[in-house]
Amino acid sequence: MISSKFVTAVTFLYLFCTVLYFNYLAFRSKKLGSLAVISTWVALTLHTVAILSRWIESYRLGFGHAPLSNMYESLVFFSWCITFIYLLWEVKLKTRIVGAFAMPFAFLTVAYAALSPGVSDRIDPLIPALQSNWLHAHVITCFLSYASFAVSCGVSVMYLLKARRKKPGRPEEGMLSLFPTLESLDTLIYKTIAVGFPLLTIGIITGSAWANYAWGAYWSWDPKETWSLITWFVYAVFLHARFTREWRGKRTAILSLIGFGAVIFTYFGVNYVLSGLHSYA
Amino acid sequence: MFPKIFSWRWAKLNASFFLGLSLSRKPEKDLISSLGEALSSLRLTIGLLIVLAVVSIFGTVIPQNAAPEAYLRVYKAATYKILHILGLLDMYRSWWFVLLLSLLCLNLVACSVGRFRLTRRLLSHPHERLEEAKWKSLSPKKSLSLKGLPVDWVSSVRDGIARRFRAPKTLEEDGTIHFFVEKGKISRFGVYFVHLGVLIILGGALIGFFYGFRGNINLVEGETAGRVTLRNGTQIPLPGFKLKLEQFTVSFYSTGAPQEFKSVVTLREGDQTVRSESIRVNHPLSHKGLSFYQSSYGVAGVEKTVLAIQEKNSGKEHLVDAKMGIRIELPGGRYAFVLTRFVPDIQGMGPAFQVMSLEPNRPHETFFVLQNHPEMEDRRPGAYRFRVREIFPKYYSGLQVTKDPGVPLVWTGCVFMIVGFYLTFFLSHRRLWVRLSTRGKETSLEFAGSSHRNRIGFEQELEKMFQALQEELVRPGKHSKEREEQA
Repeated sequence: MISSKFVTAVTFLYLFCTVLYFNYLAFRSKKLGSLAVISTWVALTLHTVAILSRWIESYRLGFGHAPLSNMYESLVFFSWCITFIYLLWEVKLKTRIVGAFAMPFAFLTVAYAALSPGVSDRIDPLIPALQSNWLHAHVITCFLSYASFAVSCGVSVMYLLKARRKKPGRPEEGMLSLFPTLESLDTLIYKTIAVGFPLLTIGIITGSAWANYAWGAYWSWDPKETWSLITWFVYAVFLHARFTREWRGKRTAILSLIGFGAVIFTYFGVNYVLSGLHSYA
Repeated sequence: MFPKIFSWRWAKLNASFFLGLSLSRKPEKDLISSLGEALSSLRLTIGLLIVLAVVSIFGTVIPQNAAPEAYLRVYKAATYKILHILGLLDMYRSWWFVLLLSLLCLNLVACSVGRFRLTRRLLSHPHERLEEAKWKSLSPKKSLSLKGLPVDWVSSVRDGIARRFRAPKTLEEDGTIHFFVEKGKISRFGVYFVHLGVLIILGGALIGFFYGFRGNINLVEGETAGRVTLRNGTQIPLPGFKLKLEQFTVSFYSTGAPQEFKSVVTLREGDQTVRSESIRVNHPLSHKGLSFYQSSYGVAGVEKTVLAIQEKNSGKEHLVDAKMGIRIELPGGRYAFVLTRFVPDIQGMGPAFQVMSLEPNRPHETFFVLQNHPEMEDRRPGAYRFRVREIFPKYYSGLQVTKDPGVPLVWTGCVFMIVGFYLTFFLSHRRLWVRLSTRGKETSLEFAGSSHRNRIGFEQELEKMFQALQEELVRPGKHSKEREEQA
């Protein structure tokens, strides 16, 4: 299948982009930064082509459906969302430094899809439970929210790195001098979560609406549902904790890391460790 | 890098932190007001959300609502008993989980009511004229000097603000002219929409819990049901109608994966058919407040089967359509048989028919014919050899029946939440103050603003607005020319 070859190419391109961003961080050369940005846009374009070609292939096989229906397809889409959301922030913020902390997520996700023997790239027809328009709304909102949380996790890592090294009265050295100020990193963590949290809520709501059509209950405390709620609780804690002076800063950055941990467990852990109704991806 | 989360001092600090009770609380405070204070504390919110997140994990690790035997296969009897007493086997309905949720609701109401008063006061009494101290605290603050008196500039400043932001209110006091304008007030209310949404959803869930039910109906094609079997085994009648399964079909893709399960049903009231519909996965049927979902299916028996019967002597083969329990005679009348029983899966070897042969002048003999093991038939003595070519099964369809009058309320709550998120995260309450005052022979224009969210973004917006305003006022342009002409 040509689309799988595209995905493999995208994987190597993302590795290339990640390495470029790291080099930009290490050498602080403007040229490297521009090269990283351009290659990331190229990679995203190819990634889009890969997803579209898989969509077309599924129609050729006679049971066409949007490529959002199993582990492989969701991983490829998740990776696309991370790059897409990251690039939007890059355009808005006009800073490239976050790329070194966001692109590794995009690379690792698509690499897992392309290279893991446990994730099959076969295109299967949709089983009856998945034949619903809610599929698109649910999957797209969930993964856009997960991608926002991935970026926020990357920024939180930056925040904690910078906060650990920061000593009052001494100028920063090395790559940390390139980082935005702690205050703007804190604001960026908040902003990425302020985008991810409503999207996660809509993802849970569309999932509930769908479950109400397919399973006859909008909420059944299935492990996937419960873990998405746990994730929601963690980010709700984050949003409320920012109003208290004691929590703002390091602790909210750590909450954002915990939140992304909950996202990862909701996505992978529930499928591989626990069992439930939600067994597709 | 990480704060010491597990130190004892930290724990003690946090105990008071989460309860919202300061340790230096004044003794004269009565119990009710300090309880009210604790309930309306943001720290209680944070504490409750953390506790809810952590305890929710248990219910995903321990299987919920399974049969006792299933638990005893995994846990020791003592462990099972402890889990049962703690309510961990049905924890999302346990008293302590419901208590936690109720506390969260109380906290949410208390916090929101307290904050709502402040918000309303802030918005109904806007600071149209900023006090001197407030002016100093605002940043960024811009200023510029203009020639002439403040009154000369009122209309052009007002127009400039109106064109770039919104028409301001103007106030004159002791020769100083104050302009005030605000945008996005509603953003301050977003949080109440979200909180109200959460309460509405939980209200909907409560209604579903008390006035709803979930049950099942299993029907073989042609059967009619008038009752639903609930989860606990009791049966209740369908309200004023009966449901008949006309047909159930299942289709498969070429890969063998299921493509569609479909039950064609008719709803009958008395002798009349009121509706005729099909129920598929993702396409439930709703009638009189009940919803019917395609949830399972299975083989209830055999509609008919195609058998190939070979005469061992001549090798001649007869293809026969057979139905259960009906005597079938081979051409020539020398041999007859009846299918007496169908076993969907005989000892793991697949489907089998029990056949009773009705050969004339011989005792009737009974034997099994297995579809997937024809070699067993080869070993059986007798003049005829049976093969099962095809089985047309008779299916039963499993329909889930749900009544949940709380669902519309749940969706209403969801809409509230989404609207609330939009107001909260994507709009902001922005205020702009401008004042013109006399400084010697000149007029000083001061310009400042504040936004309750996205401060940096608004500062950039203000910067641009100020630049444009400055250009318009200071440089001779259209407006200043007009003024000269008037003079």
